[in-house]
Amino acid sequence: MSGLTLHDYELDDACYKVRLLLGALDLNYAKVAVDVHPGREQLSPKYLKLNPLGSLPILVDGEVLLHGAEAILAYLAQAHDPNKAWLPREPAGFGAVMMWLGFAGGELRSASLARMHHMLEVDADAAALDRQSRQAFRVMDDHMTQREFDGRAWFAAEHPTIADIALFPAIALSRDFGIDHDEYPALRRWMRRVRAIPGFVTMPGIPSYH
Amino acid sequence: MSFGADWYAVGLSEGLEAGTSAGARLFDQEIVVWRDTDGVTHAWEDRCPHRGMRLSFGFVRGNHITCLYHGWQYDAAGQCRLIPAHPELKVPDTIRTTAYPCRERFGMVWVYSDLAAAAPSDLPPEVPQVTPVRSIYIDRTATAVVAFLTAADLPPFPAATAARPTLAGSGSLLSLSFGGDALLAAVQPVGRAKTALHLAMSGRPQDWRGAGQKDVARWAQELRHALEQQAPYDGAPVAQALHDQIPQEQTRQEITP
Repeated sequence: MSGLTLHDYELDDACYKVRLLLGALDLNYAKVAVDVHPGREQLSPKYLKLNPLGSLPILVDGEVLLHGAEAILAYLAQAHDPNKAWLPREPAGFGAVMMWLGFAGGELRSASLARMHHMLEVDADAAALDRQSRQAFRVMDDHMTQREFDGRAWFAAEHPTIADIALFPAIALSRDFGIDHDEYPALRRWMRRVRAIPGFVTMPGIPSYH
Repeated sequence: MSFGADWYAVGLSEGLEAGTSAGARLFDQEIVVWRDTDGVTHAWEDRCPHRGMRLSFGFVRGNHITCLYHGWQYDAAGQCRLIPAHPELKVPDTIRTTAYPCRERFGMVWVYSDLAAAAPSDLPPEVPQVTPVRSIYIDRTATAVVAFLTAADLPPFPAATAARPTLAGSGSLLSLSFGGDALLAAVQPVGRAKTALHLAMSGRPQDWRGAGQKDVARWAQELRHALEQQAPYDGAPVAQALHDQIPQEQTRQEITP
């Protein structure tokens, strides 16, 4: 019944966030592969009509047209999660999720850019991105260290939310741009929990442990 | 304080769940630390003998660790048991990983840093009650971290309301005592300008579990912040001599799946 279409690039960590949630929600969707590298198709007139920012992911759901991973995650949780768990309605939980979504689309963006720089030779100040990425991962590890002392396993609630989904790809893919997981023991344990979420999907750089 | 061939903590025991692995660096040597499903910890050179892939990128199944690259499987003794591309092959005894001496004490996993040492001296004796806190990574040399703990104005320790804690040390393990309890701080010289501190509290667990752990963990963040505000220590690189002694060569096998 679902009329969901995701305009997607397999190597894009922002697209992966959406694929993760679609998997966790067990939703059927059509995937349109966009030739980002080397074709730069996301910047073509056809795609700029869908998203003037020239970025992916783009989600189409009937009349709804959205771009930006965090907005799409929030929309999917609002529209297609019958249990209303991935985006809590209760104010404190909602606020915590929104705070981490802002972080995922803000400070953590350095990690995405660092990866693009390493993999696709996107022009960037690699040293600055490395420093900013490590700082962001440190903030995440400090947070999950404190959460574990309270017996909590997830970033924003007693159960996984779209905050966990939005934060996962950058650190899980960090070896692509030269940052090991050694220094983030609480994130290592949390990533293992994320991988065990029913419906979890992999992407290149995030192997399935067969 | 200088750092030579010795036991070094590389992580907290509680943080290494059964059936998982973690990467660690000690004097820039890459080590995979893993716990098998019987609960025993192992520390190996972090290289698959086949193609040099880091084994810490792989995964633990049962009591084997499997390389992510071509699926070569190693048992708890480091012996390769299965090469999936040649499932019928009886794997030669020579295909094995290199193991570091490894122990658990004070709620931490300890590795002896010198692969050439036959009989390492033992660790200090266990203390009866330990509550693990956290590992914290600081972008400064181990020498600078220890100097700061010893001499500088430490951030006020949460539980030490009265006197400044007294510092004692043996090897890479420091102990900050106050009253009857102590903060155990194990120093791991990770690399040239990177040090890990593995922190645990000795004392009654009911005094330290929960809120106490959170307070000490936040104190450690303040400590890290204060240290990294300092100009980088420009003394001799930590234990460079030892680092140079550790054999670098790989023993790679010529079997290609």
